Amino acid sequence: MAKKRQATKRSTSARRPKRSARSAMSVATNARKTVKERVAALAEVPVAVCERDENLQAVLKVLRDKDEPVNVRLAALKSLQTASFSVVAFESCRGDYIGTLREVAEDSDPEIRQRVLGILAREKDGYAQKKLLEGLQHPEKALVPAEKALQLLSYDVHADAYPIARSIVSKPPNAAARREALRLLAADASAAPVFEKLLRDKDELAEIRQISASALQALKPEKLRAHAREMLLDTSEYDDIQVTSLTALTQFGGEAVAKDEALMKRVDRLRGKASTKVKQSARRFLDKYGR
Amino acid sequence: MNVELQINNSISPTARFVSWAPSPCRIRMTNPSGATSPSVNVRIAGSSAAAGGAVVFRRNTTGAFSNSLTVPVPITGTSVPFFVAGRFGRPSINNEDVRIEARAGTTLVGSVRVMVRIRKNANTLTAAERDRFVAAFAQLNNQGAGRFADFRDMHTQVSSPQAHGAAGFLPWHRAYILDLERELQAIDPSVSLPYWRFDQPAPNIFTREFLGVSDTIGTVQFSSNNPLQFWRTDGVQGINRQPFFSTGGAPPGLFTEAQTLALGNQYRAFRDMEFNPHGDAHTSFDGSISGIPTAAKDPLFFLLHCNVDRLWAKWQRQLGRFNPAQAASYDSSPGNPIGHNLPDTMWPWNGITGSPRPPTAPGGAMAASPCVSAPGPQPQVRDSLDYQGSVNSVSRLGFDYDDVRFA
Repeated sequence: MAKKRQATKRSTSARRPKRSARSAMSVATNARKTVKERVAALAEVPVAVCERDENLQAVLKVLRDKDEPVNVRLAALKSLQTASFSVVAFESCRGDYIGTLREVAEDSDPEIRQRVLGILAREKDGYAQKKLLEGLQHPEKALVPAEKALQLLSYDVHADAYPIARSIVSKPPNAAARREALRLLAADASAAPVFEKLLRDKDELAEIRQISASALQALKPEKLRAHAREMLLDTSEYDDIQVTSLTALTQFGGEAVAKDEALMKRVDRLRGKASTKVKQSARRFLDKYGR
Repeated sequence: MNVELQINNSISPTARFVSWAPSPCRIRMTNPSGATSPSVNVRIAGSSAAAGGAVVFRRNTTGAFSNSLTVPVPITGTSVPFFVAGRFGRPSINNEDVRIEARAGTTLVGSVRVMVRIRKNANTLTAAERDRFVAAFAQLNNQGAGRFADFRDMHTQVSSPQAHGAAGFLPWHRAYILDLERELQAIDPSVSLPYWRFDQPAPNIFTREFLGVSDTIGTVQFSSNNPLQFWRTDGVQGINRQPFFSTGGAPPGLFTEAQTLALGNQYRAFRDMEFNPHGDAHTSFDGSISGIPTAAKDPLFFLLHCNVDRLWAKWQRQLGRFNPAQAASYDSSPGNPIGHNLPDTMWPWNGITGSPRPPTAPGGAMAASPCVSAPGPQPQVRDSLDYQGSVNSVSRLGFDYDDVRFA
């Protein structure tokens, strides 16, 4: 028995090479310590958070406390996130965790708000989704920039987000918001015509046309195949779009592509006379179809 | 005169993949013409390019490996067993880049091409290895309509107690990534799951050609020739991942490999790695990968867990912790929840639904391998431990890591 205790003690000390959990908790929650010391201590406490409720409550308190330095609060948040991976141990305190995150979602610090809303959005938290949508509809209430709100709403897309996304596409506050609105709309089957138009618009940014190709592949794959074919046959098309077309047809093309002699001939020509990137993609395409 | 070489005791070309752990093989005479005695001495050896894979041989289940092996092969057609393994440090780069040749005297009487298929550091893959992996992964996902959707559905908040926070964390994830790897290999057999060694800089992973580059809000950008540009999960396009570190370096604060391996000599101490480095690697990012409900939406998740598994494999090799019957190899505490005890079957491969298991069991049985029989369609926790077949050769799971030896 004595031997067993000794073995356990040895492994416990080995797994915490720096200091004991108690000592780390003590530093993490001590406002007289430096920010650097507390951030380092908070990185060590996830096990302790899972082991004792009082430790969890102490770290939640640090996160909630607006008088604490932002970096210390962010370190507390990261520590809680790491602890939350240990589901069985963390489950009993999950309610307190989510409750605290909601409380902090409207914090005065933008980074804390954004990080917390991100966690809640990934949990498909209705409260966070409501706040994000409200911020898009009424920018004066926005807790995060429009592009971030759209990105976070895409973790659990609801139809009520589509109208505002469409309105942002037509009148975007910035390029990133337009892009994220398009990504969100890629889940909306009725948006296929929007993506067709953007895909074929040579004045659009390559990134927007790539997003449109991807959206169309999901919403109307036969449409993308047709457009990709046309864009490959179009000698005035940009390299990046030709490469995206080749990649789409290599990954998702089928029998019809394999039998398309005009297309094969064109890609064979691209393999010989094009930029390195196009040549490489043309080779992959022809390998796929046994040419 | 001709002989037939059976790799992994199979004549199928789909079984011609080996790792560091020895594969059982057979040789038999299929055409004895020209033979003048009841058996013919046949020399078996590997032939490969300088940068390709290399193999070694031995006659029995134990003993030293050598570069060649001479065996008497009866002209009756009776099979003679032998073993082949990858030579440690010489994994293949391409499929079939090693040829196993059988010669009677100087005459070539049979040959097969094989691959030494090994899980490698993702940061050091060749461009071709990287591209094959990315293409297979994109095809498995098929924009959210492919088989990958099951893997995404296996790792959610609802199912998380089956896989996290208790002793079965490491065995469950070993089975999970093995199942995924086998599905990737069904698409392209030359692919193995690479690992993200998160305690070292891995700039080659975070490129537009591989797992993408994050923009200022964490939307991941891909080059136009990367099929991951079509990535889609849960009906939503793209990947969200924002690193809190420079992707030219490693995330700060994570235990190094040496620190992780020093967590303790007992499994119950070692499994604290679920927090650091595992949990801390996840939370080195904002975005999908930073939380259980969404982590599996990001392909990087599987490279992260491949490294977690590699660390366990390395710890097992360092201390000889492969035998489920030895207490130090696992934490068999009486309070372990269901799915975390050695004899428990693992969800979802067992198909069991309803409390205390999750309400659904996506994906069906564990994918079979043409090379090995373990862990079977409904693996138990214990089946994950002896992955190299060190204790029992039939337990071999068919994968190995580039820096973890067989013995």
